[in-house]
Amino acid sequence: MLANFVRSFPHTRAALIGVAAVTWLAGSVPAGAQVASESAMRETLAIGEEPGRVSTEEVVITEGPYRRQLVFFRTNEVPGTFVIQTSEHFLYVVLGNNRALRYGIGVGRDGFQWSGLVRIVKMAEWPDWTPPPEMIQRQPYLPRFMAGGPGNPLGARAMYLGGTVYRIHGTNQPETIGENISSGCFRLANGDVVDLYSHATVGTKVIIRQAATL
Amino acid sequence: MARLATRPIIRLGAALLALFATAASASTLDAVKQRGSLACGVSQGLPGFSDHDAAGKWSGFDVDFCRAVAAAIFDDPNKVTYVPLNAAERFEALHAGKIDLLSRNSSWTFDREASLNLLFAAITYHDGQGFMVLHKPEITSALELDKASICVQKGTTSELNLADYFRANSMTYTLHAYDTIAEVIKALEGGECDVFTTDQSGLYAERGNLSQPNAAVILPDIISKEPLGPAVRADDIAWFNIVKWVAFAIINAEELGIKSSNIDEALASTKPDARRFTGSEGAFGAKLGLANAWAIHAVKDVGNYSEIFERNIGSGSKLAIPRGLNQLWSAGGILYAPPLR
Repeated sequence: MLANFVRSFPHTRAALIGVAAVTWLAGSVPAGAQVASESAMRETLAIGEEPGRVSTEEVVITEGPYRRQLVFFRTNEVPGTFVIQTSEHFLYVVLGNNRALRYGIGVGRDGFQWSGLVRIVKMAEWPDWTPPPEMIQRQPYLPRFMAGGPGNPLGARAMYLGGTVYRIHGTNQPETIGENISSGCFRLANGDVVDLYSHATVGTKVIIRQAATL
Repeated sequence: MARLATRPIIRLGAALLALFATAASASTLDAVKQRGSLACGVSQGLPGFSDHDAAGKWSGFDVDFCRAVAAAIFDDPNKVTYVPLNAAERFEALHAGKIDLLSRNSSWTFDREASLNLLFAAITYHDGQGFMVLHKPEITSALELDKASICVQKGTTSELNLADYFRANSMTYTLHAYDTIAEVIKALEGGECDVFTTDQSGLYAERGNLSQPNAAVILPDIISKEPLGPAVRADDIAWFNIVKWVAFAIINAEELGIKSSNIDEALASTKPDARRFTGSEGAFGAKLGLANAWAIHAVKDVGNYSEIFERNIGSGSKLAIPRGLNQLWSAGGILYAPPLR
């Protein structure tokens, strides 16, 4: 059933736009990274998750541009580097020889998009979720703490982006891949984030790029 | 003395030059304006690049380039007369004046410019020979194809490029050559070969016809150069510049973040490069004999490069070709346009 769901979602993924995965970790913002204003952040926090909705490690994007695939990618970055092109909704793992492994991702909503260079400082499997106080205030029905697992909005894996409140993580809402929905985190389908995790180490360089603004 | 002697020659030269310039610019752009439509040579039918429906409406990547040129001239992308041409007659149609512009998946080569007296204005699509591998997900690079059995269409440049590439990389292969693409696909699906090689755009077109498209992987490697783009007659530099800069404009639009859905935002922008693009600054259109809003007209009416690509041959289309080489130079590809200034 899940497989059917994922297969059909490229045509129906607009159905659940507007649901944000908010990850709120303590930490400061690195020099050079642009971050949305605090008021903008608060606005995003009003948007709810679907804790308890189950999405397993087997869920991957199987069709369309957001399917995991090998692509031509010319770059000066060393193999192993992650390059996130926010406007394309792609995350590239640089492989060298003008090639990269490309994943479809969900990114920050307009106004919550940021760019910069960071490093992965911590990695976790099936991370726990502790919604921040601001979020509890707006959505009192949310759990105060949720242990990691298939129903957790943070999904199967998380890679913490050094010195920021953001991470690359899984999701229990795979139909939101390809959308601008989060508060600045980057989300992948659980099966895809598991695969990406195998290419990451603590110290992996992550470059986040934005399209030009007018 | 010397000055006296040379002055008439300079005058004569200037007069000749003026005559030449007038003759040239009077020709194509004025003829197009007078006619009220652009005569654009296109393919008779190539999915994604040049298609026409039952009602005679043309669409596709090459067709959209005709529309963008018409939009830059008339602010109306529909002022195009399409002239479908086969491969043999395409260049002659340009010389005979049947068309103003050829936008028909033609490769830019030395011989076509040097011998046929025409000019390629720009590269709008970087094609090249690639490999499609069936039921072998472990292969991720063309360099891992040693000892593979490879299907190819007989008598094509693909067959020659294949031999060169394997020799250059000290690899061997078993060749299975067939007369038609249909036979090649049959052999591939029948397991007679594991790999099919032709131009990458062709691989994507054929993948859609496989019984299990997801079992096929098109490798990111490109082993030959097939730069496709619009061509014009070599006798009208002013017209050549218009066609060339329309191509550059739609590429630059993507780089600047200008698209058909944010034209008003672009017109209100205070960024100098956006202001030059919209015609608010610099009067660049006048230098081409067009309205100063020529570039923004093309994007408003047809879209920027990304929009044109995705709609016709990219993720919004049946072909689903990834941007690859045709991504902007700043985002992993080699697509590059000189700046508008």
